[in-house]
Amino acid sequence: MAEGEGSAAALGRPHGAIGRYLALLICVVCLGLAGALLRQLVNPIESGTRRQEPALRTVATAGPGVALALLGGFRALVADAVWIRLYVTWEKRDLPATDSAIRFVSTIDPRPVYFWLNGARIMAYDFAAWRIEAEGGDQRLAQAGQDLIVREQGRRALGHLERALAFHPASADLWIERANIELNRIQDVAAAAESYRRAAQVPRAPYYAARLHAETLRRLGRHGEALDWLVKLHPTLPADESAARDVVLARIRDLERLTGAPMEQVYRPPPP
Amino acid sequence: MRSPSPLSSVDDPPPQPVPGQTAVLRSPRCGTTGFSSRRVALIGHNTLREAVRQKLLLFLGMLGLALVVSSQWFREFDFGASELKFLADCGFGAMAFFGSSLVIAATAQLFFSEIENRTALTLLAKPVWRAEFILGKFAGIVALAGIFCALLTTLLAAIIWVRETEIMRLVPEAFPGGRAAHYSNLFFAGALQWLKLSVLGALMTLVASFAQTQLFTVATGFFVVVICHLQHLAQAAYSRGAGTFGSVVAAPLTLIFPDFQVFTIADSLAATDAPAWFDLVRICGYGGGYMVVACALAAWSFRHREI
Repeated sequence: MAEGEGSAAALGRPHGAIGRYLALLICVVCLGLAGALLRQLVNPIESGTRRQEPALRTVATAGPGVALALLGGFRALVADAVWIRLYVTWEKRDLPATDSAIRFVSTIDPRPVYFWLNGARIMAYDFAAWRIEAEGGDQRLAQAGQDLIVREQGRRALGHLERALAFHPASADLWIERANIELNRIQDVAAAAESYRRAAQVPRAPYYAARLHAETLRRLGRHGEALDWLVKLHPTLPADESAARDVVLARIRDLERLTGAPMEQVYRPPPP
Repeated sequence: MRSPSPLSSVDDPPPQPVPGQTAVLRSPRCGTTGFSSRRVALIGHNTLREAVRQKLLLFLGMLGLALVVSSQWFREFDFGASELKFLADCGFGAMAFFGSSLVIAATAQLFFSEIENRTALTLLAKPVWRAEFILGKFAGIVALAGIFCALLTTLLAAIIWVRETEIMRLVPEAFPGGRAAHYSNLFFAGALQWLKLSVLGALMTLVASFAQTQLFTVATGFFVVVICHLQHLAQAAYSRGAGTFGSVVAAPLTLIFPDFQVFTIADSLAATDAPAWFDLVRICGYGGGYMVVACALAAWSFRHREI
């Protein structure tokens, strides 16, 4: 045996199995103590991250492949893969599977508005149509039954959008979608008017959100409020075609006629 | 024939056997030869050089690079996230996944190759502290992880920069205030990934210091990665009091293993998501604390190990 090797064999002070387990236990205890101290440093950061990341709460139920991918950080890729899978279940009109996929995809990656928006639309419109069809369609199911399903699905979609707005409170698209569902599925015009107003107040919101707010107020018979809103809105609109200044002015004139506004109170647009 | 150890250049005299006693060479301890950061650096340098020679490690590195480069073709499958965000996600995913694999494989391979090839015996027969050996190995792994993260972060930044320029040319109205991607976030995220991989490297060094086989070290390493990433779940289960058994298991886990999710706070391109300096300092303290404790325990454990 080479001298170095033989000498080196005596380098360590080996201990038996019990000693090794004791050493392991000491390591674990020391790491635990260090962890208890170090945790104080990051507690505020951890609680903030946990609030923003629902995926972390559901990763355990996601299946090994998805869980590993999420752990690896490929969140966007996994969410896209689940969305592709959702298309398959959507084509088969498999409501429970599509519903799960919608919730799952927005849980994995709550950042894109796209998933929330399209998920809510599928819930409100497609699911209602599928359920009515499953009950026998327009011919067999009475109108009251159909309305009930439409409203029920509309409320589920609104619940989904509520969760979405917790992540994206400044998304005009989500507020507009909420208003559309309230208007067209729940038939709650007052709620829709309020949601259009919230959408219009978001920076860089599409111009039509403000016009729709006035239109819903008009439908509610609140002509004065609608007129005030449009009068305030009109001078802020650019000459851009999408801003539709002429349409807004025409509606102001309509509302003035409806409210019987006196000549001296008639809105005079600023010179272009 | 083995190449001469790079430590042969260290001109510390070998310890002399005391006349009348058994000629046993011992690792130097306090009072005989002082701790040398130079020897640590030499071992670290040698570890890094060995790592670069390993084909598997190069392969993992190339896979990570390939994934970052190919992420621009994956964007065809993107539905939800904005394109740049999607590219960043892919890049950070590659960094976390392949980086963890790289650190686990490298630590196990480089540590056990020293023992199996008996070079550790030669090395420790010289006046080299076992703590120096452990710290040197750890330094080499940290350097390897640093090169990997720096390479991938730079590549990712370049890819995002090029794509953002293309998009700006195509849709200039979407960028009213100039570039939208916050590149300093990208580099913070890369640095935090490096810190995370360094913590993993320290834990792997600790595991390797008492593990008997390379396979055990690698398997344990992957378990450690999963547990560290699932810290949030353990904490949530603990805080919600999800059953007595769950609480009993989760509570110690949250203390023993570091939470790797805290190292992802900068994984975003948005300026609004830029981490606060104070948070970054806290995370560095957290990671650094774990590294110090794990390396100290590894050195202690290795001192009592039979090679």
